[in-house]
Formats: sequence, structure tokens, C-alpha cells
Amino acid sequence: MQFEVLAKCHTTRARVCRMKLAHGVTMLPTFMPVATQAAIKGLTPQQMEGLGVSLILNNTYHLNLRPGIKVLQEAGGAHKFQGWNHNLLTDSGGFQLVSLSKFTKITEEGALFASPFDGEPTMLTPEESMSIQHAIGADIIMQLDDVVSSLTVGPRVGEAMQRSVRWLDRCIAYHQNSGRQDKQNLFAIIQGGLDPDLRAQCLDEMVKRKDGVAGYAIGGLSGGEEKDVFWRIIKQCAEKLPEDRPRYSMGIGFAEDLLVCVALGVDMADCVFPTRTARFGVALTFKGPLNLRLGKHSREFIPIDDNCPCPTCSDGVSRALLHHTVTRETSAAHAVTLHNLTFQAQVMGRARDAIMNGTFPTYLREFFSNYFGDTGYPEWCVNALRSVGVDLLEHNTDAKVVEGDGAKWEYSDAS
Amino acid sequence: MSYTRHTSTFRFELLPSSPESTTGFGPRLGKTCLERYGEDGVLEIVTPGFITSTSRGVVPHLSRDNTDATDAIRWAHVPFETFLEHTPPVPTLQSGSHPLHKFLGFRPNQHILTMTLRDPSDDREMPANGHSFVSAYSLRGVRKVSPGDWRKYVLACDPDIAIALSDTPFTTVAHSQKRTTKSLERSAAWLADLLQAVPSPGSEGPTPRLNVFVHMAGGVIAAARHAFSVSLLEPLYEREAETIKPFTHLDEGVSGYTFDLIPLYDGLSPSSRFNPPTPSALSTVEETVEETAAALDPPHSSSPTAQLVPLLHASLVPLPKTKPRIVHSAGSPHVMLALIRDVGIDLFDAHWAQRAADIGIALDFVFPAPPGAPDAPKALGNNLYDARHAHDFSPFADSFRTCADADARPVCPCIACSPSRHAAPLRMSALDEPLSEHAPTPFTRAYVHHLLHTHEMSAHALLTAHNLSVLDAFFACVRRVLADRPADFAGEVERFCVVYDGTMAVWEEAKATWAEVALARGKGRLAREKERQEKDALGTAVEL
Repeated sequence: MQFEVLAKCHTTRARVCRMKLAHGVTMLPTFMPVATQAAIKGLTPQQMEGLGVSLILNNTYHLNLRPGIKVLQEAGGAHKFQGWNHNLLTDSGGFQLVSLSKFTKITEEGALFASPFDGEPTMLTPEESMSIQHAIGADIIMQLDDVVSSLTVGPRVGEAMQRSVRWLDRCIAYHQNSGRQDKQNLFAIIQGGLDPDLRAQCLDEMVKRKDGVAGYAIGGLSGGEEKDVFWRIIKQCAEKLPEDRPRYSMGIGFAEDLLVCVALGVDMADCVFPTRTARFGVALTFKGPLNLRLGKHSREFIPIDDNCPCPTCSDGVSRALLHHTVTRETSAAHAVTLHNLTFQAQVMGRARDAIMNGTFPTYLREFFSNYFGDTGYPEWCVNALRSVGVDLLEHNTDAKVVEGDGAKWEYSDAS
Repeated sequence: MSYTRHTSTFRFELLPSSPESTTGFGPRLGKTCLERYGEDGVLEIVTPGFITSTSRGVVPHLSRDNTDATDAIRWAHVPFETFLEHTPPVPTLQSGSHPLHKFLGFRPNQHILTMTLRDPSDDREMPANGHSFVSAYSLRGVRKVSPGDWRKYVLACDPDIAIALSDTPFTTVAHSQKRTTKSLERSAAWLADLLQAVPSPGSEGPTPRLNVFVHMAGGVIAAARHAFSVSLLEPLYEREAETIKPFTHLDEGVSGYTFDLIPLYDGLSPSSRFNPPTPSALSTVEETVEETAAALDPPHSSSPTAQLVPLLHASLVPLPKTKPRIVHSAGSPHVMLALIRDVGIDLFDAHWAQRAADIGIALDFVFPAPPGAPDAPKALGNNLYDARHAHDFSPFADSFRTCADADARPVCPCIACSPSRHAAPLRMSALDEPLSEHAPTPFTRAYVHHLLHTHEMSAHALLTAHNLSVLDAFFACVRRVLADRPADFAGEVERFCVVYDGTMAVWEEAKATWAEVALARGKGRLAREKERQEKDALGTAVEL
């Protein structure tokens, strides 16, 4: 990996970086669409290229089950298998073991789980995770970590953090012996739950291992914790992580979360949210999400967003037609998915330009004003951005501020 | 000069090379031309050819960019009934020229659109039609559509071609002779209604008129079908004559004829709606698989085409031969070839090929059939659900080459076999460097096998584009044989039927594997999928 910081925001901790991997250059900060099963749901790799996307994510747990490592090896890796010749990231498979399998038991050796094929006890060790990710061949691979839900409390959180550090050592050792470091880049995952002390310990230990890792992820968040705790952990981690390594927030996808994370110093994020919500008929816009299933859109002969460059909006697909087809025709899911991924890419692309041009604080204020101006700013966003020197309410003393997670949804026809 | 509504001219020319047969019915080569007054260019479609089916107004599984990238889509058939969920139907509110094209995303300079009330592939039981309405299906319940409503919708949507309402009963009650007579009278009266002169917006330009196709009524009674056609040629008098002025008889205002096979197969089958199957008391998993599979039946692929031919002849004998003939829901290329050869059908809908994409089949056949007699009949396509494709990195079809091959086989131009780089990828910031250049590689059976088993929607997008392209190549080759060596056509049809499996065992196999995957994925999806199969003929449920 070649990694270069091109510019830093004069106010916040945001930065623009150029990350060159084996399959090309990805400019950061960026959002990574999720192709869980080796396909962005409904789309082709050519359509993803058309959106200018250069980095997507595959899930190791899923690809290991189907099509299986043998098929991927025969194909010459996951890039060739899915016809994607740009950058690719795989997770370690650990998160899905915990979220999808009822019988997972964590031991020092690895994660013991019931095979979904025959129910037989199966062990996923850090070495095995590396081996599977080597077969998949992604440009960025993740260490196996001991994941606990972000709502877990007690000694289990500290144990999981410490084990994640020990498993990182095993992943580094296995990866270094594989001779694949020139093609595949190992990222460490900071754990420690919502406890700043545990996070601090984990950061200390993992930053010590900097020579063995190409980048750092912040894990164990985005699991239903208070947003006010979430941003403080992100801030703590981003501040401690080394300048010359990319920083990746796992499972972050709401636009406001992305921009707060970027302002706190995060470079990469991934989430199924934009693609999943598209299939349910929700289109993301700079004025907030539109629920296309609502009857009020049934006679709107305008695109989701007149100014959007996505294939759906630029072709003038009307909200009325989408209302008629969403959740019933797969092509409507494709149309809204294309739009939502473009929206995410625009949010991050504009952030890159703004950081480069020294206008990032203005960009943040404008974005939040458009997105939340009518319903109220989430208090946690106001606090998080104040902590890095941007006051969303500056020159805007009448603005409404709301408590809670502040996620904006168009729920009903009532509005 | 800009286009004014209802001023497109639809013409059909029979090409002189069409071989004559002694019965007066034989294969024909033709060309449909659609010319829009005030717009450049003529949309020409050579026949025999096909019409793409739509569901809820769109080609199932293809986003607009992929529809555009599929050259095989030149003419689309739009059943209107799903739009009856709102009053007035939303497409009728679309402004500008070519409102139906605009609303649905079809290109006036590339796509011909036919608008019809009912989905011709839907054979669900329906409440009876009335003297002045057709019962149509929408998700919000059955809607009664009067000839006046229909004319209003057609005028507001301005499709290139409109199909007149037809009184085709979809009730369980046995149809009496009296009912048949009534059906003919209603269908003729409703046609007359649509043929009324279109109000002219001004003095400039040609007189506006609709391009109207009529469904050939009469069910499975040859005499009734004949009588309906004869009635189209009889001069009308008094009030009726006034209605259709300047035409003197109905056929004069008709641009072409359509045949819906579903009600014919229904009428010919001894077990169909007259003897509904009794529901099973016990429901096991195996039965659920069978039920789900049954819901996916290809449109009566194995039904005897031979019985259809005399019925179609009965309709066509009295009528002029110079108008195009469209058949809906032909269940296989075997049926299509037989109807081209024995009836002179010009256009078929692609429902069959599109349905194959829903259930995981990549079509793989050519006309004429490859030389030599195979040991066993070849399958028309590859069931990519099947485990034998799990490690199969070959492209979708053996009969075609991909953009990456350089042999003598014809190339399949679809987005799966010949993917091309996006011409102008979006750039989201001034800093972004262009994506690395590389030639896209053709998609493999192993990849689509994986996508099908994980219920990834991309599989159906690739298969739909591929299957439409294979069907397009098939018709191109049918036309070539008819043009270059018409005397050999009948022989080639027979050879095709020997070489390729007309019973479509691959279809049954795909249906069964499809149902197994649906079950493995859990009840939620299966329930929605079943609901979908009961209500909408084409497409699969969105994987949420």
C-alpha cells in the first residue's frame, strides 16, 4: 500500500488521503458499498464502475460458505470471480459468527461454531481467517477479532479486547509468513467496547504493532450504543491512531455519522444501510431520506433529486414510477440502489473537495442545515463537531436541536 | 416541428420473398415501420421477431441503463392494469410528448410501445366481464374498465399501438354458446369505440389517429372465431357507422391482429378451470415445493400446438393477409417455429425467455440447429442453479461466443457475455483519478450459480439480458433462412424439434431447484414469492 496524506482540514481533524492498492487508487475519505455475497445487490460491476466507485467490501463469512474457498481459488480469487478489477476489502468473518450463529463459543484458540452445513463444531482461528482471506485475495484484509456487542458490560469486554490484541499478533505472524504483504494489506481492529480505558489500552497495544499492520479499524461500535458515547470513542481512537495509517470506522453509513466521523479523523467507512434501505424504497437526498412507498409520491413526476448525477435521476426516473415499482420490481431496487450509492459517494466526494479547498467547516454547516434544518439538528452531532471546532449553530441561533440519535426518517403520509 | 400526439403511422410490409404455401398460410418475412410525424427517423422492426414483456410497466430485472444496453429490446408490451391502483391512473397524468414512453423510461427513438389492458400471460380466475366493462386486476382489487375509460387512458398515454378491449372470459363457469356470441358482439363494439376519430388539435399536420390492434375473439370454437373476423369486414350502418367514420368497416381501422394463447390453452385443456384441483388436506414440505414449482409453469409448453393452428386459421381466413399477427405466451421456440411455419405469425412476446431468466436458465440454442443428430435431445438452456455449474467458469452459452473469444460462433452481445466499460464513470471530487483501465471479462456460469443460490438479484439482470439477446439471434436466423433458402425452412424447423428438447425437461429441473432454494431461504421470502407468482406472472420478489 502507498498511503499519503494530501491535505488536512485547518479546523477539524479531517484529512484527504491517497491510498494506492494493488487494484488502483482510492481517494479518502470514502464510503465503501457492501457486496456481501460478491455482488452489490442487483447491480453489475460495470454499473458500480459507472458510479466511480473504486473500493467495495465482501464478507468473508458468507463467501467461505458460498461459493466456498475452492471455487474462489479456481476462479483466481474474488476479484476475478465477480468481475471486479478494482479495490476490495474483506472482513475477518468474526462479526458474522457472533451475529449469525447461535452456537459460537470463543476460546483462546479461536471461535468455535456450528457449521451451517452439517452442524459439526468448527473452529475459526486467526490463522484460518487469514488463510481464507488470502484465498479471497482482497486488497485489504481484517484481523480476526473477538467481537462483543457494544451493549455488553463487565469483564467480558476487557477480555475480548485483550484477546483481540493477542489474535492480532497471530494474524500478523501468519500474514508475514504468507509473503502476500505486497498484494494484501492487513488492518488491525481497535476493540474495548464503550470503555475509554479499555480503548486506550487497546490503542496502546495495537499502535505498538504498527509495523505489522497497514491500517486500523475502529470496531465494536454501531451496535445500538448511545450516539453521544459513539462519537467520543471514535474521537478517542482517531486521535491516538498514527497519522500515516488509514482509519476505518466499521458499520457506519448514515450521512450525518459519516461526516462526523470524517471530521473526527476517520478515512473509510462501510455499511449495508444505503443499499438495504433502497430495497425498502427509501431514497437518500441532501434534504433527508424520501420514503418512496408513501402515497404522497405517487403523482410526483420529478426525479428523486434534480441535481443528482446518478443514472436514475439523470435519466429522469420519476418518483411516481418508483412509487409504482418499489418493493415489487427488482429493477426499482436497482434504480434506488444506484441513487443511494451515488448519494453516499457525493457526500464523501464533496468532503474531499472541501477539505482540500479549506472549506470543510462550511461544508459541514451547509450539509447539516439542508439535511436537518427543518426537523432539528441531532444534539450529538452538534456536540461532536463542537469538539473539533465547528459550531453548526453559528449564525443560526434559531436552529432547533433534538436529543436522541436524530436519525431522520420519512415515516408516514402525515408530514 | 414538434411531434403532436396520435400522429405516428404504423405500416407493415410483407417482403416478396415470403414463400407461398398451398393452404394460404406459410412463413412470412415482413417489416413493421413506425414513423412519427414531426420527428426524424423510422423505427423499423423486421419480422418474424419478438416483443419484450413488461411487469408493472418495466422490463423485469433491468434497470434503465441495462435496458438501454440490451439492443434486443425494440418493442415492449405494456399491460396497463397495474396502473388502475390509482384513479386516474398515474401514467395518464404524465405531461409532454410520448407520455407513456417518458413515464416508463422507454426511448421514443428506440422503442415501440404497445398498450393493452390485461396481462396476456395472466390466467387467474376473474369476475365476469359486463356488457360495458372488462374486469381487470390490480393490487387494490378488481377494477371495471369501460371502453370509454380505455379510450381516455389510451389518448392520455399515447402509446404507439393500442389493443382494443376484448371480452375474454376468465370465469370458472362453462361458457355457453350464448356467452360466446355475446363475447363476439362486445369485442366488436369495444373495437368500434376505440376506432372513433381522434379529436384534432388544429388544422396543421396529419389527421391524428390511433394504431389499433384487435384481439381475435371466439375462444376455441373455430366457427365463432371465423364469425368474429367476418364481422370485422361487414360494413357498419347508422349509429355504428357514424362512430367509426371515416372507416366503413372495423377492419379498415385495424393495424394488426393479436392472439392470446392462454385462454385457448385453457379452453383446450380438459383439466383447466372447469375442473379445479381439490386442495390437499396434508401439506408437507415436498408438496410446498411442488406447489411453488407449479406456480411457475411455463405457459403450457407441452400443449399441442397442432390444435391451435386450425383455430388461428379460422380467424385469419377472412381477413387481409397484409396485417401483422402477434401471438402472446408462446411457450417455447418449438411453438414459435410451428406457428411461423403453419400460420404465418409475425411477432411473439418474449415472456417465455424472460421467465427462464426468473428461474435461473441461461438460454443456449440456435437456429438452424447444429448439424448432426445428438444422442438425446439438447436442452434449450443451462439451468445455472444446478450443482454441475458450481465450478463451471465457461460463459452462459456454448452456442455463442463472448467478447473475449475469437472463433466462428456468433457473438452474444448481452451485458453478461459482452460486458463493456462504462463510457463516462462519475467523478465525485476534483481529486479523483480515473479508474484503472481493463477490459471487462464475460460473466461465468459459476458466478451466476453462486448468485442464484444466494438469491442475489444481479443473477436475474444478467440472465434477462442474455435470454433476450439469444431470442433476438434466434429470430435473426429464422429470417435469414426464410430470406436465403425459404424452401429449407420447414425442414429446418423439423430438425430443430428433433435436436432440441421441446418437452423442456430443463425447465422442470430449474423450477424444482428454484423452489428448493426459495425454501432454504426461509418463509418470509417464500411467502412473498408465492404471492408474487399468484399475482404477477413475470419477475421475482425483491430480496429485502
